[in-house]
Amino acid sequence: MELTRRDFLKISGSSAAGAVLFAGCTPPEHEWKLESPVLLPEDTLTSFENWYASVCRQCEAGCGIITRVVEGRAKKIEGNPLHPLNRGKLCARGEAGLQALYHPDRLRTPLRRTGPRGMGQYQIISWDEALNELVSRLKDQQAQGSAGAVALVTGPLRGLEAHLVTRFARAYGATSLAYAPLEETALQAALKQLFGQDTYPVFDIARANYILSFGANFLEPWISQVHYNRAYGEFRQGQRTQRGYLVQVEPRLSTTAANADEWVPVTPGTEGVLALSIAYVLIDRRLASPTVAQAMTGGAGVQGLGAFRPEEASRITGVPAERIEAIAKALAERRPALVLGGLGPAGHTNGLFNLTAIYALNFLLESVGRPGGVLLNPAPPTPELAARAPASPFLEWQRFAERLRTKQPRPVNILMVHDANPLYGLPPAVQFGEGLKNVPVIISFSSFMDETTAMADLILPDSTYLESWGESIPDPGPGFQAVGFQQPVVKPYFSTRSFTDVLLTVAGELGGQAKEELPWNTYKDALRETAQRLFRLNRGSIRKPDFESFWNTLLQEGGWRDEQATAPRVDLRLPVLARQSQPPQFSGTDKDYPFYLHVFASAGLSDGRGAHLPWLQMTPDPTTTIMWQSWVEMNPRTAAALGLRENDVVVVESPQGRLETMLYLYPAIPPGVVAMPTGQGHTYLGRYAEKRGANPLSILAPMATAEGGALAWGATRVRISKTGRQYPLPKLEGSVPAVQPEDYTIIPVTDLRTR
Amino acid sequence: MAEERKWGMVVDIDRCTGCQACVIACQTENNILMSSEDIVQQKRAMVWIRIERYWEGEYPNIKARFIPVLCQHCENAPCEPVCPVYATYHNNEGLNVQVYNRCVGTRYCANNCPYHARVFNYWERHTAAPHMQVYPADARAAEPMNEYLNPDVTVRTKGLMEKCTFCLQRIRRVSRQATVEGRAIADGEVQPACVQSCPTGALVFGDLRDARSQVSKLAGDQRAYHLLEDLGTRPAVTYLKKVDPNARATSPSH
Repeated sequence: MELTRRDFLKISGSSAAGAVLFAGCTPPEHEWKLESPVLLPEDTLTSFENWYASVCRQCEAGCGIITRVVEGRAKKIEGNPLHPLNRGKLCARGEAGLQALYHPDRLRTPLRRTGPRGMGQYQIISWDEALNELVSRLKDQQAQGSAGAVALVTGPLRGLEAHLVTRFARAYGATSLAYAPLEETALQAALKQLFGQDTYPVFDIARANYILSFGANFLEPWISQVHYNRAYGEFRQGQRTQRGYLVQVEPRLSTTAANADEWVPVTPGTEGVLALSIAYVLIDRRLASPTVAQAMTGGAGVQGLGAFRPEEASRITGVPAERIEAIAKALAERRPALVLGGLGPAGHTNGLFNLTAIYALNFLLESVGRPGGVLLNPAPPTPELAARAPASPFLEWQRFAERLRTKQPRPVNILMVHDANPLYGLPPAVQFGEGLKNVPVIISFSSFMDETTAMADLILPDSTYLESWGESIPDPGPGFQAVGFQQPVVKPYFSTRSFTDVLLTVAGELGGQAKEELPWNTYKDALRETAQRLFRLNRGSIRKPDFESFWNTLLQEGGWRDEQATAPRVDLRLPVLARQSQPPQFSGTDKDYPFYLHVFASAGLSDGRGAHLPWLQMTPDPTTTIMWQSWVEMNPRTAAALGLRENDVVVVESPQGRLETMLYLYPAIPPGVVAMPTGQGHTYLGRYAEKRGANPLSILAPMATAEGGALAWGATRVRISKTGRQYPLPKLEGSVPAVQPEDYTIIPVTDLRTR
Repeated sequence: MAEERKWGMVVDIDRCTGCQACVIACQTENNILMSSEDIVQQKRAMVWIRIERYWEGEYPNIKARFIPVLCQHCENAPCEPVCPVYATYHNNEGLNVQVYNRCVGTRYCANNCPYHARVFNYWERHTAAPHMQVYPADARAAEPMNEYLNPDVTVRTKGLMEKCTFCLQRIRRVSRQATVEGRAIADGEVQPACVQSCPTGALVFGDLRDARSQVSKLAGDQRAYHLLEDLGTRPAVTYLKKVDPNARATSPSH
């Protein structure tokens, strides 16, 4: 007899309990089941929830979020379905924002340093005291006529916050700089040169038929992971006749390359040559429009690109000539085709050449201004929202570090830092830390004790984004005008104040020009003024008869958008394809330093700013499944030749420095390249980040792109040596037997449910 | 009781990029104990959904594949008959449910789960790896982090087996709301945390008994398969194969 467990229990239940004990009286059917007669804890709901719309600040893109709040505590962050950038979706970093809010190591009150710098000895002070000290120090500098000796360092800013900070710096006379470790300044410069815009254009991945990406890790933390992942889903399986085809060109198989249909390993720094070789084939085989080709080669035609014949390019890039031809032909056949370039090609001394050559292919393929290609974004709806304070390029930071160190042309007497951690991110070779020793007063507005804040003399802790007001023009924009509004979803949990409010308070206390430039009492006032302007436009998603109901709807929906307000059709002038290729420069000879060091952004920690959140520490790297640690990737054959095994602690040494980390055998990396993720190696930043792993930025050579001066983080060569020690890498891989389904050996097992 | 609904999920491998958004969304929703570094080193990481990575081929023709694996809510669940205390059972909505206050921690179910979807609480929340200070020995020290715990989800203690519930609390909330409003649950109204966050739309959740639901339609796709289908477990999670235009015969390695 075939009997399932459930049948057995039903029978035993009805015969034993039903027939014997309650003879003649059948128990109700639900009592036959194994479900508990009372409501299980799993089935009870105790909470009443409210959802508040706001903006995510875990990266610079500015996705819309909705936050679940129960009894005044934030419980869950989800994507805002109304926000055009992410449409209800979110990434791991966005989800982990709750931990930044309720972090045990948050700076809870204003602090004044009592011991030597960096020793962590602080005294708790009141906000009045902290503000008084800040204002009096700023007034002192003003009185001494050395307002120019005050420097304000922030993260990259845009919109109202950028407007406020630049106005403050101008009114006071302070130097202002913005910092981002993996700066996109080379990319922004290339895009500005080609498309004439400061903001990112729309890369229409969803509607593209063919994407050729040169190290543009758009499925990872690059510009907007959520936005591009959403588009990628449509690109693959959206309602279309053809499934999109993705080719990823880069030295190491990244998560994006893992999802690509083809991965093309390329010699680091030669991406631009490859792009021009593709241009050569397109023009030579008459696959590009002849008029466009003529214009872009300055009338020289294909002869102008003679140096980039596939055979020549193959020698430089390591990509076979046939493959270059095949890619060019596929690009021409499968339109609309989209060509992207990212961190890989940007991070070399010839970064700008690489990126302009890459993005110029979009013109040759007539993809600019077309759906499925590169579309432009309109200007923001109001002028103050158009303000930007983008990251200053590395060279400017190097000069600034030199100014701190040498006090030339003038010293910095007060350094104010908000949402930037240059001491962690800048290569030690620029000696920023040495420079900080010459700054008499360092004031930090950080929420956490990061490396730079640990040097501060006065700390006025910032509220997290879930406790503050703000707004954000999504960048990359969705192709039409949109503004996200950020509101405090919970009250400040600790005694913190948002930086923008502090800035306005200080401006008010300083009086004079600062007060004139920044007349608002709180950031919310400034924000309401911007909302007033949007209200008066009387167009877009929210139209209300009076301002208060407009304002309430604005906060309820988390923003405003006008899908009709698209970019005006602009006559795109055709750029001339670069004819002078510059070979990339490297620090270290290939004899002494046999490996290219390929630095990539960590999936969870990105450039290191997420390292304090345990959820992001335990986000497995998609391709290696490693959590909580840093590692260096090497081709297994190279490792075998060097006598290295996985989990070996190795020394990674560049001409500028050395670090120790674990070796991971990565089967998808060329023999001459080793790769390391950013993000770890913090000396401060709370219990989850401190003294964990190594920071590859700490051994980078201070080399910059020839034009624009962006950090060339791919320009360092390294050598690897054994320490003789081993350390087991914490990884998910190998935890459980594989359940790879498609080629699994079939073991016939009788279906237990067959009756 | 009539079996009105059968909850199920579809995972489109062709959309999944391995971005880990679902993994962290699940952690934040379900009060899962955070796995510190040494817990991961012991291969006892607490995850209800994990993304497995498979290498295919050899350099330079090598590929990585991602497969999210979660509890498959099998109709013929191997974990159910081995539990001596009926802590795991199949409810009338097709869910494989774990009753925490029945569980005595024999771990038979985890041994019998071919998908390794079940994870065991080897630690008290506040004593897990004290030297790592993920949860310091003094529970009060990590206090602010208690604030984000989801009040709808039981905080499990040492000695309990746990696994993906398809976000039972979200199903309950929506069905309660639908009952109050006297209507049926709309397709797509219930979204477990992983499905809600998934940026590429690789995860789809719904009622498999409703032929018009998106999940039913996708489960009938020609790319559909089940993990370890030959074991006869009848999973409620259907996978859609990756489309590979350049497919070649290669054997996978883990």
